[in-house]
Amino acid sequence: MDIFIQQILNGLSIASVITLIAIGVTLIFGLTGIINFAHGEFLMIGGIVTWLAVSAGLGFPLAVVLAILAVGLMGYILERGLFRFTLERPTNGFIVSLGLIVVLQHVVVLFWNPNQKSIPRPLTTVWDVGGVRIASVRVMVILITIAVVALSFRMITASRYGRALRASVEDRDTAALMGIPVRRYITGVFVLGSALAGLGGALLIALFPITPFTGGTMVMKGFAVALIGGLGNIYGAVAAGLILGIVEGFSAGYGFSQWTDAYSFALMILVLIVRPHGLFGGTSGPRMAS
Amino acid sequence: MKEDRRADLFESLRSLLPVLVILALIALVPLFSPSNRFLSLAISAGINVIALYGLSVLFGQTGILSMGHAALVGVGAYAAAILARDFGIGFWLALPAAALASAVFAMIVGIPSLRVGGHHFVIMTFAFGQLLAIVLTNGGDYTGAATGLDIAGPVTLFGADMTDLTRYYLMVVAFVTVAAVASWAIIHSSYGRTLRAIRENEKLAASLGINVGRHKIGAFVVSGIFAGISGVLLAYFLGHISPSQFSSFPSIYLALMVMIGGARLIEGPLAGGILVAFLPEVLNLDPVQSRIVYGVCLIAVIMLLPDGLIGGIVRALRAAFSGKPKQETEDCDAAEVRQ
Repeated sequence: MDIFIQQILNGLSIASVITLIAIGVTLIFGLTGIINFAHGEFLMIGGIVTWLAVSAGLGFPLAVVLAILAVGLMGYILERGLFRFTLERPTNGFIVSLGLIVVLQHVVVLFWNPNQKSIPRPLTTVWDVGGVRIASVRVMVILITIAVVALSFRMITASRYGRALRASVEDRDTAALMGIPVRRYITGVFVLGSALAGLGGALLIALFPITPFTGGTMVMKGFAVALIGGLGNIYGAVAAGLILGIVEGFSAGYGFSQWTDAYSFALMILVLIVRPHGLFGGTSGPRMAS
Repeated sequence: MKEDRRADLFESLRSLLPVLVILALIALVPLFSPSNRFLSLAISAGINVIALYGLSVLFGQTGILSMGHAALVGVGAYAAAILARDFGIGFWLALPAAALASAVFAMIVGIPSLRVGGHHFVIMTFAFGQLLAIVLTNGGDYTGAATGLDIAGPVTLFGADMTDLTRYYLMVVAFVTVAAVASWAIIHSSYGRTLRAIRENEKLAASLGINVGRHKIGAFVVSGIFAGISGVLLAYFLGHISPSQFSSFPSIYLALMVMIGGARLIEGPLAGGILVAFLPEVLNLDPVQSRIVYGVCLIAVIMLLPDGLIGGIVRALRAAFSGKPKQETEDCDAAEVRQ
């Protein structure tokens, strides 16, 4: 039972990071149709920025803010400089993101070598609750994610910007006709998604050491979660993130750890075969003249 | 009518000619006694080019992109290694067997993946590729786990030992030629036209009675055959294969090569494979720098020359010769423009 609770906690903390990626992925896809595989690299850069900041003697909270700002800015530059030109042909946007993966990874390798990077745990306390050892850093990751996700929900469901955003995801052209500046929302979503990935990277490096190649597996899990939940569906992404995190936690706890990475892919393939629009229903991307 | 046909055939043969001439020149390279390093690079480039010709049928003609193509190459390579180890089957018999294995794997991946439609197909192939790498890594002694498998077997042709670098090089050039001709034959057959109809307008193609789903899977299976053969050549060339050679990044590089070369032209895969293999040598870059250059090239090609490098050059030449480019044919397949 102790192991059970501990594994759920471990699973949930990883699920938090994956959910942060999945929200960005799902929003960007829902609005632009672009499958941005480089999102995992955004996360990795967030981790690297955190590592640099902490190594330079800054505190962890400040490093997190820096990571969010830096990756958000990167998202803005890339959207303005590259992705904006691929809106008419989302497949090209996808290919550009593949190029970005290669470039971003190797730029990081070039400057900061390919080895693992880690920071001292920002919180070292381990609570002992009735024999269950709970690492406070994991609780911190889960709580920050819950707060950020709740805030995003609030923004998307209650504010008029959120309503306009959802209208644009539903039908870009009609939304534009209603006077919603869809292009600006696309930029906004790229920045928001990137900032969330930056936060995810900062949280990830608080949990595990990262390498310049961490982004690859993480983005696949983010995509798996986004697809399982239904692309464009934020609620679905969060729910699917929880499912995946718990499944991975269990399998690691009960001796199948070498298969952990396989679950997300297998689960995704299964869900797509049975329910191509995800468990919770999503959009199939913006309708556009193909 | 018959005259037209013959003129068509002549025209399409003319499009094959440049590739054959280039390949003939490439086959003459050993006369200049190149270094072993050059030959090894050229052999790996050639092995990639074979897989790229399959990928060009899939992406260039049918318009669907596979991001797990290295996995198909891997199936071929592992099939060759396992057949050699467990059944003592040599190179030549392994070729059809591995091609079959990759084709079957492509079908297993293709049926569910293509069912879920365009956007998701790319992700599905990527996921299957990752899954295969995980399965190979966890396969224990049968797949050699993370260290992979050794393959030790002489490759002989009419009693001559082909493992010598120069001979292997010539053999790979021959295989590339077969792949180029096969891909050309597919492009210029009615099957190729069917695939292009699907690429241009899936719904219209379906309304004409074309079984879109089956043809897409068919194109994927065909590309799998190319990949399987390339896998056998790779396994026997390297003598050792491991899961990491066939995971996600090799797949990205294959897609990158076909993009850089241009998927729709018969010269594209050849140019892409050679450029990507030799660019670091020519520019004297280390692997990290060269990968950055590839990435930048890929982005630049997509943003500036959506038809790939060769497609862009051909278009520029055509524009220079005919005064102004014809607007309607801009987006069309260059091979079709010629017809």
